[in-house]
Amino acid sequence: MTAVADFSVYLLRSLKETFTPPYRYKDIMSQLEFVSWQSLPVILFCVSFAAIVTIMESSFHMKLVVQNDALVPGFAALLILRELGAVISALLLTSRVGAGLAAEVGSMQVTEQIDALRMLGIDPVRFLVVPRFLACIAGGFLLSLIANLVCLYCAMLVSELSLGYSPGAFLTGMRAFVDFQDLIFATIKGATFGAVIPLVSCFFGFRCKSGAEGVGLATTNSVVVSSVAIIVLDFVLTYIFSHFY
Amino acid sequence: MKPQTKVGILFLGALVMLVIFAFALGSLQPFSNSYELKVAYNFAGGIEVGSPVRVMGIKVGKVRSIDFEPEFKMPTTGEEVKLLIVISVDKTAWPTIRKDSQFFINLAGVIGEKFLEISPGSLEQPELSPGEVVRGQDPPRIDQLISQSYALAGKVLEFVNRNEGSVIQTIETMNKLVVNFDKMLKQLERTSKDPEVHRIVKNLSTIMEDGAFFSQKLRTPEAQKTMALINDLIRRLEPLDGPAIKKFLQQEGIKAKLF
Repeated sequence: MTAVADFSVYLLRSLKETFTPPYRYKDIMSQLEFVSWQSLPVILFCVSFAAIVTIMESSFHMKLVVQNDALVPGFAALLILRELGAVISALLLTSRVGAGLAAEVGSMQVTEQIDALRMLGIDPVRFLVVPRFLACIAGGFLLSLIANLVCLYCAMLVSELSLGYSPGAFLTGMRAFVDFQDLIFATIKGATFGAVIPLVSCFFGFRCKSGAEGVGLATTNSVVVSSVAIIVLDFVLTYIFSHFY
Repeated sequence: MKPQTKVGILFLGALVMLVIFAFALGSLQPFSNSYELKVAYNFAGGIEVGSPVRVMGIKVGKVRSIDFEPEFKMPTTGEEVKLLIVISVDKTAWPTIRKDSQFFINLAGVIGEKFLEISPGSLEQPELSPGEVVRGQDPPRIDQLISQSYALAGKVLEFVNRNEGSVIQTIETMNKLVVNFDKMLKQLERTSKDPEVHRIVKNLSTIMEDGAFFSQKLRTPEAQKTMALINDLIRRLEPLDGPAIKKFLQQEGIKAKLF
């Protein structure tokens, strides 16, 4: 209960500081580069494989149930846009960025750098959390957008090579199901998941107990809690967005 | 490379991909090569914005918007139509759409995709002008048909319930009628097998044949002449009375006790 109360206070403080200028653009940009540019290869690699699996699995199931896989392009495209693209990239971002942030802030806490910041009159939330928070929101937005579109492109490629649907047929099938708003919702999801990662990671970093073990525990907890939060938030957002269809 | 440059490249890449996606999805059409038409309906059967428009089965455009117009009346007929569907049609297919073209709402594919089908018009009719309002063929309302069938079935049931006695009586009477008819047919069959009836029928047939022969003979010129002679003779004998006939016979040397 104490942790929940602490997190609520910390969340409100973070949000307050986020909306209070001035901003340290250089720091935000370097964090954004770390979150988006450096995470891009691994995310693209993973979503490409996710696309292959989606196409092959949906084809298998469609053939099993309706003896026909003509609906696979539309079905797979919708699944990618509504769920896979945003969730897979967010989970990968958690394991890459979230773990890193928790370890970084945890080490600073253990080595009393946070206390040093406080002594210098610098608010650690404003100094550490806000740039990462903003960078992760923007990074989550950008990465989910790129991941979704690359995933769709891979799905198109796989359905041509594996199922024999031309890109035109794929796009026609996709148009029957997919709207532009699906991509907008996917990017909103991406940005929300992105926002969760630094908040949770930095929170566990600040609460890190002394020693290497404490840092390890903080990192583990931050990844677990971020992942669970992403899955729960995914449900909440999907439920909210379902009212727009 | 500076972090700002990398982020900028990423942002531009995402933007380009977004534009390509919007273009592929049909949400963005900067180089539009189509004309618009407004099709008026009172029932649009579930068509949606983005549904395809087809001419002779080929996709030539899509539904741009669906507008509710409560006070709209057709300019030509004055008919009240409350729904205007704005569609786009490719310029290549435009000349096939004429004044007598018809606009149907159809269903296609495994998923029951709704589309607007335009039947090609005849060459004698003029082409439509872009933005013109045309009247579409309202699709049949299955729900309405079903509800009407239910209502009809209800009325039939009510009628039967209300007139149960007379309906049963009618059925019983019909039953009796059928039984009687059956009896009659059996009687007829038995009669047709009776030898006496056979004989009578045969005699009747002979009489009929003789009658036909006689009437045929009567139509010949010889018979006509004979008839005319008899007629003439009777007319000459008409003024004669008893004594005159006696005198005539005496003159002829015939002695007979007459009258």
